[in-house]
Amino acid sequence: MTESRFFILLAFAIVLTVGTAAGVVPRSPDGTTVTSSLVGPVSAAAGVHVSEELKAKYRRPETIPAPPSNPLTPEKAELGKTLFFDPRLSRTGSVSCASCHQPGFDWGDGLKRGVGVTGVPLPRKTSTVLNAAWLSALMWDGRAGTLEQQAVLPITAEHEMGLELEEAVARVKAIEGYAPLFEAAYPGEGVRAETVLGALASFQRTLVSGEAPFDKWIDGDEAAISEAAKRGFLVFNEAGRCAKCHSSWRLTDDSFHDIGLESDDIGRGQFAPPSVVIMQHAFKTPTLRDFRLSGPYMHDGSMASLDEVIDHYEDGGKKRPSLSPEMQAVTLSAQERADLIAYLKTLQGPPLDVKMPRLP
Amino acid sequence: MRLSTAALAMVMAVTVALPFSSGALAAEHTVVLHHMELDRIEGEMRLGDVVTFDNRSDMTHNLYITYADGTVDNLDTQVPGMTRTVTLRVAGPAVIRCWIHPIIKSDLTVLDRAEAGDN
Repeated sequence: MTESRFFILLAFAIVLTVGTAAGVVPRSPDGTTVTSSLVGPVSAAAGVHVSEELKAKYRRPETIPAPPSNPLTPEKAELGKTLFFDPRLSRTGSVSCASCHQPGFDWGDGLKRGVGVTGVPLPRKTSTVLNAAWLSALMWDGRAGTLEQQAVLPITAEHEMGLELEEAVARVKAIEGYAPLFEAAYPGEGVRAETVLGALASFQRTLVSGEAPFDKWIDGDEAAISEAAKRGFLVFNEAGRCAKCHSSWRLTDDSFHDIGLESDDIGRGQFAPPSVVIMQHAFKTPTLRDFRLSGPYMHDGSMASLDEVIDHYEDGGKKRPSLSPEMQAVTLSAQERADLIAYLKTLQGPPLDVKMPRLP
Repeated sequence: MRLSTAALAMVMAVTVALPFSSGALAAEHTVVLHHMELDRIEGEMRLGDVVTFDNRSDMTHNLYITYADGTVDNLDTQVPGMTRTVTLRVAGPAVIRCWIHPIIKSDLTVLDRAEAGDN
């Protein structure tokens, strides 16, 4: 990837927060000014009024974060992309990172549960890697704290890519065409576990959701989403209680909650003492950015439709000691439910313009 | 003053001095949680000091302290408005974190009373 192309990608990836300039008074389509309260009156006739204070909570950041130990560069991203699409990082030579994190499926796989080299269904649904640069805890159970730590997990997992890390590094080192890519990305450091994983992490940091209609609305374009979607945004924040966990511009609090699903999988509970009851059956709140409108949903892919998901939250989930206190049964009217779904559809941005690499 | 980009605030104020087993006084500290922003804990904390965490946020937390020797004190679930109290029992560096919200993190040093000049 040339430097200019990288920065085009970066510019595309980086959040577009131009938005409402200071001093500009936002107006709804009917010309009335936005109310100063957090949530203004809702009326189909008068338009939906939402405060700038609430909108600001969903405004995208302007830069991609990266750790000082592995600053993001175009060369690292290019190398990482090549590795990401290279199936030789798996035991069978047939499964790459991109096999489960497919660009066409919004960097997931659209499956109820992922499948790797052994063909055995994985215990949990594949998460998207979009916007992973901002994650403070990775994997459904948070067992990795950085993208660099996370990158090794699927490579070495028996049913995912099934390769010892040392073997993966040796395979990459044996491919002559990788040498100049590594030298450009990590001058003088060579092909090592740290550089392989650092490059994979770097590429994933460049995968940032494109600007969705919701973002344009947040930035002041009142025509970007429908009135139904605006009402749905208020349902999301108020009656539906969705924003209790699906908060911030990525629609996640990066935190762990038991939402009351029937499952033997205790999630983050396996890393916490049994006395930490609240972590039993707790899983990370997934982002709703670019989520697959066709499902499946939940960490185990157990729900096939958005209506089924909303039914679950109306019910409040299985009552048990670990159930998150944020899980409280809600009641939505048919109109509110339809508005909520209309809003969720505005979170879909355009597909990323990522050119497939030619593998060395 | 912020330790991270996280979004919860903890503000500490030393309040009352209590008798401690060594004869020195143990202090009481109050740490207030506001959402998910973590501010630096002010002042010195010493072995035997009592720390009360006051959840004034609108969300449930579950804090825990990991001491220098690797042992952990779990403060259990704290719904909004609830306080939890812990007595600092190991000298050295310690970390306060939240099980639910890993982004919440605060480092502190628990001073040994002899090292701190207490008798």
